[in-house]
Amino acid sequence: MAGFLSAHGYDPGPSQRPFLAGAISGVLGTVPAIVALLAFGSLKVEAHILGLSPIETLGAGWVTMAIAGAAYSRFFGRAANEVRGGWLFGMSFGFGLWAAGAVLVLPVLSGGRAPAGAAAVGVALSLIVWGLATGLLLPFVHRPLHESIESASKDAKVGPGAAAANRGPIRQQRRGMRG
Amino acid sequence: MIRVVALRKAAAAGLAGAVATEAFSFAASRAHLGAVDLVGQLSSVALGLPRAVSLVAAAVAHVGVGVCWAVFYAFFFWGRLRLRPTLQGLIFAAIPAALTMLVVYPELALMQHPSGMVKIDVATFFAPLTVAALVSIALAHAIFGLVVGALYRRPVGYAVTHRPKPPRPRRAEATRVRRDQSPAGFLFATGIECSYPTIENGRWRRDEMESTRHYDFWQRDLERAREIGVTHIRYGPPLHLIFESPGRYCWDYIDPQMEELRDAGPEPIIDLCHFGVPSWLGNLQNPDLAASLAEYAGAFAERFPWVRFYTPVNEMYVCARMSALDGLWNEQLRDEGAYARAAWNLANASIAMSDAILKRRDDAILINSESSEFYQPCCPDDEIQRIASESNERRFLPLDLIFAHPLDERMHDLLLAQGIPQEEIAGLGRRKVPRRSILGIDYYEWNERLIDREGHAVALGELFGWYVIANQYWERYHRPMMHTETNKMDAAGAPRWLWRQWHNVQLLAKAGVPLVGFTWYSLIDQIDWSIAMSQAVGLVYPVGLCDLNREPRTVGLAYKQLIDLYRDQPDYRECKGLKEIIG
Repeated sequence: MAGFLSAHGYDPGPSQRPFLAGAISGVLGTVPAIVALLAFGSLKVEAHILGLSPIETLGAGWVTMAIAGAAYSRFFGRAANEVRGGWLFGMSFGFGLWAAGAVLVLPVLSGGRAPAGAAAVGVALSLIVWGLATGLLLPFVHRPLHESIESASKDAKVGPGAAAANRGPIRQQRRGMRG
Repeated sequence: MIRVVALRKAAAAGLAGAVATEAFSFAASRAHLGAVDLVGQLSSVALGLPRAVSLVAAAVAHVGVGVCWAVFYAFFFWGRLRLRPTLQGLIFAAIPAALTMLVVYPELALMQHPSGMVKIDVATFFAPLTVAALVSIALAHAIFGLVVGALYRRPVGYAVTHRPKPPRPRRAEATRVRRDQSPAGFLFATGIECSYPTIENGRWRRDEMESTRHYDFWQRDLERAREIGVTHIRYGPPLHLIFESPGRYCWDYIDPQMEELRDAGPEPIIDLCHFGVPSWLGNLQNPDLAASLAEYAGAFAERFPWVRFYTPVNEMYVCARMSALDGLWNEQLRDEGAYARAAWNLANASIAMSDAILKRRDDAILINSESSEFYQPCCPDDEIQRIASESNERRFLPLDLIFAHPLDERMHDLLLAQGIPQEEIAGLGRRKVPRRSILGIDYYEWNERLIDREGHAVALGELFGWYVIANQYWERYHRPMMHTETNKMDAAGAPRWLWRQWHNVQLLAKAGVPLVGFTWYSLIDQIDWSIAMSQAVGLVYPVGLCDLNREPRTVGLAYKQLIDLYRDQPDYRECKGLKEIIG
């Protein structure tokens, strides 16, 4: 999948701000995720396993999901801007976080304690809902954050010097070759 | 966008796959084989809901997961393996099967636990995975994969009997005013990829404007073109949708875009026939092509009298070769004679269309775009030399016909062998070529080819370059020229290719060739050009100034910088070559 994304320009696009857009979307996506956690009584269980208060758990969760949103946006690159597919990419990422984080890492870090029953359903649902919301929101959050074509096109990297295979004057290149 | 996905088709496949999977799981569990009933397991999670509600919720969740996996398949897996679609689906199913075995099914057991928290270790976590459970999960997913694979195919294009929705109406407030420019200014152009050949022996229509969703986003696309600063845009109205039958046109497919182009630019170079014809005209072997397409060109020029630039038939050589020699599009033949007939019909269509346009607007400028090709023999072997020589002559046939250039003897004989009368061939040779005709030369990194020891053509990359190849066409036809297409698939290397092409253009202009324009083709990414649109796969071909989300690529920024640097330079503000043509 990463190779496939790479073939289409793994860079998120020259005028884009993926980390910022991803972090904002991740924070916004946490709101429905919290609703799911509260609805299934998962927040208390998570807080108990982590040894934190529910408020501290929420705070830590918000920071974590902002970072996760930035990671999602950077990893999926241009694909994260796709309105028709963003929801699914986000959900896949959320599922991945659940499988890797809640199912595998959390029990290991907490000495084998894991949410069960309705709380376990809430944890799974919250991360999938988070992914869905983040994936859905990101294309819309990202649009107003772009650098304008006008200013981005002034970058020397895309200017006439791009015609040369090696950058810099020949004299410097020769010096470099001599070591 | 990374792949063109037919969402509804994928959702339907996922739904069917989920139903088939559950039918198997349910039957197997009822047969007391120790199999896992997925919906039954889902409905048993400890939520304290009434049984019926739990079952419905579980069924909905199961179908939802199936749909998600099918869409995932459509985005990331479909078309990647050169296997039958059912086998692709079967192989793909290993991914959800593995995740179900390793994560979902053991976790479901925890979800069924009555308490809110449990203490687990590896052994207790994987305890529910009996051999029977593993086998039934594997079989259920295999069924899912087979169903999804069988149902999800051909995500792009449509049956020739179908008509896609016309473009969205124009929103006048979304249009920005265009920059003033001289009517004789150098053409800094791009284009909207608009090919519409048929495949599968005329049953399936490829339509690049539909696949790239230009019919939905056309206004945003034109706005992007203006932002980048292009002065002209090669634009191909969908002939197969507009020209319904003799004397009948459906202008809904083009009216909104033309209104916008007229009011705000960029100035269009109208591409009237791009690799396909309406189904009622059959294919390129139809001798009535010229008369019919002339009628269409005349009707178009009458409806849009403000249009100055036309490409009557795009890349006649490529169209004839792909359709009649390589067997990929339209008539799908592999025959030298059929190639000659297609080239003859297309050249005659181009001439008749030009005449029809000039009858309505005598100052129209005709840009006859053609792919520049060159074949280099690999060695002094007589047979290899002959193949290279014939290939080099074959490429010139359509242009020789429209520019009244003496034909190569072999090509001449080939036309005669197709039953084309000597007088008609000679008639084209005596024709007076319209004064405002420009030769458009397209160039890509595969246009220079080596005839290898086996007699096969292999791409050479940029060996001699556009300057040398275009100069061959200049020496043959002595017509004002334009670089009408180029791009590069490697998104990171595209700015380099752009500037190098531009330097080729400058060098040829300095050598005295009247050059009127340059084109990066296309504005947005294309679909399936990596396989010459020969199958409906939906692979994005990332060569656009913008991607399919309409986000700029690096080359889009590079082209803007290029245009900003040169547009107001004296030689480009008023282009000598174009000024002479306009007269």
